[in-house]
Amino acid sequence: MVKELKSPVRIVLENCGKINPESIEEYIAQGGYKAVNRVLQEMKPEEVINEIKASGLQGRGGAAFPTGLKWEFTSRAKDTPRYIICNADEGEPGTFKDRPILEGDPHKIIEGMIIAGYAVGAHYGYIYIRGEYILSINRFQKALEQAEEHRFLGEDILESGFNFQIEIHQGAGSYVCGEETALMDSIEGKRGNPRFKPPFPPSSGLWKKPTVINNVETLANIAPIILKGADWFRGFGTKECPGTKVYAVSGHVKEVGVVEAPMGITLRKIINEYAGGMRQGKFKMAQVGGTAGAILGEDMLDVSLDYASLKRKGLVLGSGAILVMDETTCCVDMLKCFLNFFKRECCGKCVPGRIGTEKLLEITTSISQGKGKEDDIDLILQTAKVMQKASLCALGQSPILPISTILKYFKEEFIEHIKGRCPTGVCKI
Amino acid sequence: MNTVNITIDEKPIKAEKGSTIMEAALANGIKIPHLCYQKGLSIAGACRVCLVKIKGRPGMTASCTTEVAEGMEVTSTDEELNEMRRLIVELILSEHEHNCLVCENNGQCDLQDLAYELGIDKIRFPVNKSVEPIEDSSEVILRDPNRCILCGRCVRACAELTVQKVLDFAARGSKTYIIAGLDQPLVQTDCVSCGACVQACPTGALTEKLARFQGRSWEFRKVQTTCPYCGVGCQLKLNIKDDKIVKVYGVEDGPDNKGHLCVKGRFGFDYVHHEDRLISPLIKRNGKFEKASWDEALNLIVTKFKELKNKYGSDALAGLSSAKCTNEENYLFQKLIRACFGTNNVDHCARLCHASTVAGLARAFGSGAMTNSIREFEKADVILITGSNTTETHPVIGDYLKHLATYNGTELIVVDPRAIELIEYAKIWLRQKSGTDVAWINGLMNVIISEGLYDKEFVENRTENFDKFKKVVSKYTPEKVEEITGISKEKLVAAARMYGKADKGSIIFAMGITQHTTGTDNVLSLANLAMLCGNVGREGTGVNPLRGQNNVQGACDMGALPNVYPGYQSVSDEQAKEKFEKAWGAKLSPKVGLTVVEIMDAASKGKIKGLYIMGENPMLSDPNLNHVREGLRNLDFLVVQDIFLTQTAELADVVLPGVSFAEKDGTFTNTGRRIQLLHKAIPNIGDSRDDWKIITEISERMGYPMVYRSPAEVMDEIASLTPIYGGVHFDRLEGQGLQWPCPSREHPGTPYLHKDKFTRGKGLFTPVDYIPPAELPDEEYPFLLSTGRILYHFHTGSLSRRSKPLDSIAPEGFLEINPQDAEKLKVKDNDWLRVSSRRGKVEVKAKITDRVDKGVVFMTFHFAESAANLLTNDALDPVAKIPEYKVSAVKIEASDYIDS
Amino acid sequence: MKLRDKEKDVIALLSEAQRESKHNYITEEKLKLIAQEAGLSYSEVYGVATFYSLFSLKPRGEYIIRVCDSGPCHLMGSRSIFEVLEEELKIKVGETTPDGKFTLEETSCLGICDEAPAMMINEKVYGNLTPQEIKKILKRLREKKW
Repeated sequence: MVKELKSPVRIVLENCGKINPESIEEYIAQGGYKAVNRVLQEMKPEEVINEIKASGLQGRGGAAFPTGLKWEFTSRAKDTPRYIICNADEGEPGTFKDRPILEGDPHKIIEGMIIAGYAVGAHYGYIYIRGEYILSINRFQKALEQAEEHRFLGEDILESGFNFQIEIHQGAGSYVCGEETALMDSIEGKRGNPRFKPPFPPSSGLWKKPTVINNVETLANIAPIILKGADWFRGFGTKECPGTKVYAVSGHVKEVGVVEAPMGITLRKIINEYAGGMRQGKFKMAQVGGTAGAILGEDMLDVSLDYASLKRKGLVLGSGAILVMDETTCCVDMLKCFLNFFKRECCGKCVPGRIGTEKLLEITTSISQGKGKEDDIDLILQTAKVMQKASLCALGQSPILPISTILKYFKEEFIEHIKGRCPTGVCKI
Repeated sequence: MNTVNITIDEKPIKAEKGSTIMEAALANGIKIPHLCYQKGLSIAGACRVCLVKIKGRPGMTASCTTEVAEGMEVTSTDEELNEMRRLIVELILSEHEHNCLVCENNGQCDLQDLAYELGIDKIRFPVNKSVEPIEDSSEVILRDPNRCILCGRCVRACAELTVQKVLDFAARGSKTYIIAGLDQPLVQTDCVSCGACVQACPTGALTEKLARFQGRSWEFRKVQTTCPYCGVGCQLKLNIKDDKIVKVYGVEDGPDNKGHLCVKGRFGFDYVHHEDRLISPLIKRNGKFEKASWDEALNLIVTKFKELKNKYGSDALAGLSSAKCTNEENYLFQKLIRACFGTNNVDHCARLCHASTVAGLARAFGSGAMTNSIREFEKADVILITGSNTTETHPVIGDYLKHLATYNGTELIVVDPRAIELIEYAKIWLRQKSGTDVAWINGLMNVIISEGLYDKEFVENRTENFDKFKKVVSKYTPEKVEEITGISKEKLVAAARMYGKADKGSIIFAMGITQHTTGTDNVLSLANLAMLCGNVGREGTGVNPLRGQNNVQGACDMGALPNVYPGYQSVSDEQAKEKFEKAWGAKLSPKVGLTVVEIMDAASKGKIKGLYIMGENPMLSDPNLNHVREGLRNLDFLVVQDIFLTQTAELADVVLPGVSFAEKDGTFTNTGRRIQLLHKAIPNIGDSRDDWKIITEISERMGYPMVYRSPAEVMDEIASLTPIYGGVHFDRLEGQGLQWPCPSREHPGTPYLHKDKFTRGKGLFTPVDYIPPAELPDEEYPFLLSTGRILYHFHTGSLSRRSKPLDSIAPEGFLEINPQDAEKLKVKDNDWLRVSSRRGKVEVKAKITDRVDKGVVFMTFHFAESAANLLTNDALDPVAKIPEYKVSAVKIEASDYIDS
Repeated sequence: MKLRDKEKDVIALLSEAQRESKHNYITEEKLKLIAQEAGLSYSEVYGVATFYSLFSLKPRGEYIIRVCDSGPCHLMGSRSIFEVLEEELKIKVGETTPDGKFTLEETSCLGICDEAPAMMINEKVYGNLTPQEIKKILKRLREKKW
């Protein structure tokens, strides 16, 4: 089980740890599938879309695109069939916020998918679960079978005339497949190369058909919104970013784990109130949003952790992963670690992604070995900037954020390395 | 055209709606840097150097992936963009050590050009040092991973142009590399050596193996011309250094090949420089050839022909013209035979391939050629392909069909006794017993009529004789057809529905239909089928014979046929005769001449005494070779004009060295009726002479001067006498050529025939009944032999067998035999077999494959060592006089033959 | 009811082929079969099989030890986990022990950052690793009969 910190609100994690995830009866007893029932019996597809639009729900995968709008675009696409995809390819380092839902409350995701399917006129859904999430896959498979038995899936669901089926697609080890178009290529049985956009999935997605692709956490919000209404949902979080967010906290804090909190909570509050404060040393920095996220220094401890506030500062909330690092951490070493990840997971299709990630790592490695040159810092920045502008997908566009922010705070430490000294003693020079 | 207005670098541009910024820029002469984009391939968006800025949009946008929109303002170059491009190119240059000094593509490398244009004087990144071995297993392609920039153009070219999917990306990230097959050497994969990948490669990662170290890009003279192999008429660019063809590219704007070529057209031209080339005339004295001067040889020819003509009359002379030679040469040749020799005994190998097409389609429609254009196939919903192993015989069209089936949603129906490659792309494959074509076509029409799927309006308004035809067809119920053809009635019905319901149905056929004693009937049946469904006279429809030789269409058009003058004007038509008599200033014979097989027959009976053969090799191409040899030996005088001492030339009294396609100007007419130019690229080899000049020399010495300054002048004369070529002049042919009929100088040419009216007025339905082939297997000769071609060789191999790469890939003939039959005969792969028919026998190796059905065997006729035509039957179609190559009865025995 | 013909899902076919192999890899024969089944060319199947890190075309150990080296695990000491494993198994990352028992691999984040440093051995997750813990795990696996 994923460790959950003491969440102040529980919407998506509501049932996690509370019910037996392998029992649909327990889920139903908690009010499960009521939302599907309501949607199918009482609501027109447009009404569902309008409700989601009104809730202000944004994509919890990190891009924060308004979910209702995505559904609306897809529902208006001319082509058929249409598809629903649940993106459960949780691979952003430090992110383990979908896993508790997949393992602890799979029916909630199924419910969200059925509702999405009804709203956009899709009869097929895929859930793409990363291959490493064995327990998630098994639990979800069981949940699907139970939902079929209970006729929440299949033909003529609850005698509404609506048909919907879901199939699991297992990932096979690729971070970039979490990128929505790469994920679709992967379902299609291809190499997981991200596609260029436009076209966007709502007009041309899986098998070039209109497709809604939503993150696990996003879909877990659907049933509650349907049952309790958009206004209720807007009662949480900020005006621009309503609802809660599941933050995944790791690193040098006393308590690691997930915590569901209203959008806009501060980093300081998460570290101090929910994660029990720093483990031992003094706070040095935190990376928010996963490896693709920015490094936040002490001055940012009170920034509101929601999409809009961070965006205004040129930062991202991303998946909501928070990696907290104390002063024993060497930032050159950490950057090397981040860059190693990008290099390993890059698909290799576009030049900036493929060679850029490789060269960034090479140069940073040489700095960490004391072999760097003064110009290297500039070259790293310039390269990352070009990658940001020119890369085909978000992976290649991402390194600029950790690089520019870590340099903003700790450029001196890089220069120290170039001069032949690792201040923390982590790097062997 | 639907256009939008955009500006690129403030230059206003009208761009086609739906096109990308890249396409719009290139169409308007604005060069946006690019590496992974290639016209004609899908978009990858991978190299990222084509990024531009669009006013009002944040950041940068890839111009290759972004569609134009009204009012769009694009900046293609500024300092920021160049800064970005420089860094990207530096990244590429750091991925491998790009050593331009010894690179084959130095001087014609997109990466090198781009680095130079961007002014990159140093690479800021550490450069990877690892060196990968060069992969050189292919006969024709070298793969050097150290020069690969992973743009994927080769992968897409292989997947989308050739549709072989041999190449792909493997691994990922910085470890990504290009693989062939299961990461194998090319030679172990399904690579068909077409070289599309080589042409697509922007760097020196894929190069022509045999061109290595043979010349730098700037040393090449580049000459555009037309491929001399098959009838597709691919446009080539010859790269010539020191008067030698070093490498060949497909011309991107080539109207029918769009840059694509097959292995022969790209790598099969070393024959031009082969040491076997005839470099001086030869006269046979005491059974041995001796070199002779042109005067000597020509005088002897003239003396002999005059003598024979005087002694036995004009009809004792005959000529075989050539589907490999130009229109101008064919025109002059038949003019020589008709006006100077005084006989209509002129024919050529069209007799052996599509005589029945010409006869059948002329009867049904009034015009005996492909009704539609090659590139119209993409407009068809359904294409029925029968008797055409297109991917091997017309590879560029074959690949195009694979492309359409794979990417365009075009549905293919293949009807073929052999499991040819195209069946893998077909929705329906009907496997008929050889020689039962009339039956299955009638069967299709039976279903189409009984299910009411035919085009009643078209039948009513555009055709005649429907009722009589319908009566015959009504007998061919699916049950009966199953009995005759072996095609299950369910499949027949499915195919009938697919073709019958298509809005645009096209029919493609070739020698599997024509080379039968019922060849004309087969063609008439296909014509019936097309008319029945209203599939004539519209774009993307039609009846489309794929003609085998590069200029077999032209040779027919030029009247190298015993019954017609140029432009299919009948020799028995008094008016036509008068017209030509007047134009040529000679008395012409009103008597229809003899056909190829009839000439050989007449020769063996002593009726033909003198024969002039230009560029043909009947000693390998004609059926029943023993009989052909007998005929040729029985001649008093045989002249052969060729570029090699062919099996036929060996029997000649005088051999004249003509020139290859690379040495001549002139035109070829491709299978799509497109007249295209040849450009002289190299000087004549040795003392060889232009074929057209040889003809006029003979003519002049025989007292009938034909004076022209150039082939262009010959074409002017053709145009003046041939209505369908009326507007064809060399000055109009650069680039896209012209498709006949082109009656006047102003006429743009005709992409498809019979638009509102058939050439003959109304389309004629002909009731046709099924007649079995002339010779079927029996107890003594229990196997049915069919013949055809393979990808790597052409016709009698006189060219392709002298191409080192082609002959290395496919050095010997084989007999395809079904595994069950092989087992019964206890035959293993590569065992030597003796195959014999009532007419002859050959020794050949076995190739066990289920491409052929039980009881059927297949051979190619390219190989003199195992000449299939020693076996074939010279039984003729009564109308078209085409022999039945596709069905003869043979027996097969083990052989103790030992490979020399 | 199935959304599509499973037979054609090449990634599922590859996973299955690998699962069936004792040495956790996909043989060339299997690749060819899968290509035929899925209607793909050899190069396409090879391209897919080599893209995903869970697949291998070379024989591997009975136990594949995949140690996470992404941010949280790195921070919590995954380097020392590698060191212990390399020392214990006497192989480097990417190699297989001569007895064919273990293969050591480096992996990106496994989503078990709440138990960093973490690793997976075949399908089982091991978190909160320490050098002592690793030695115990290896001992257990060594003694276990496959």
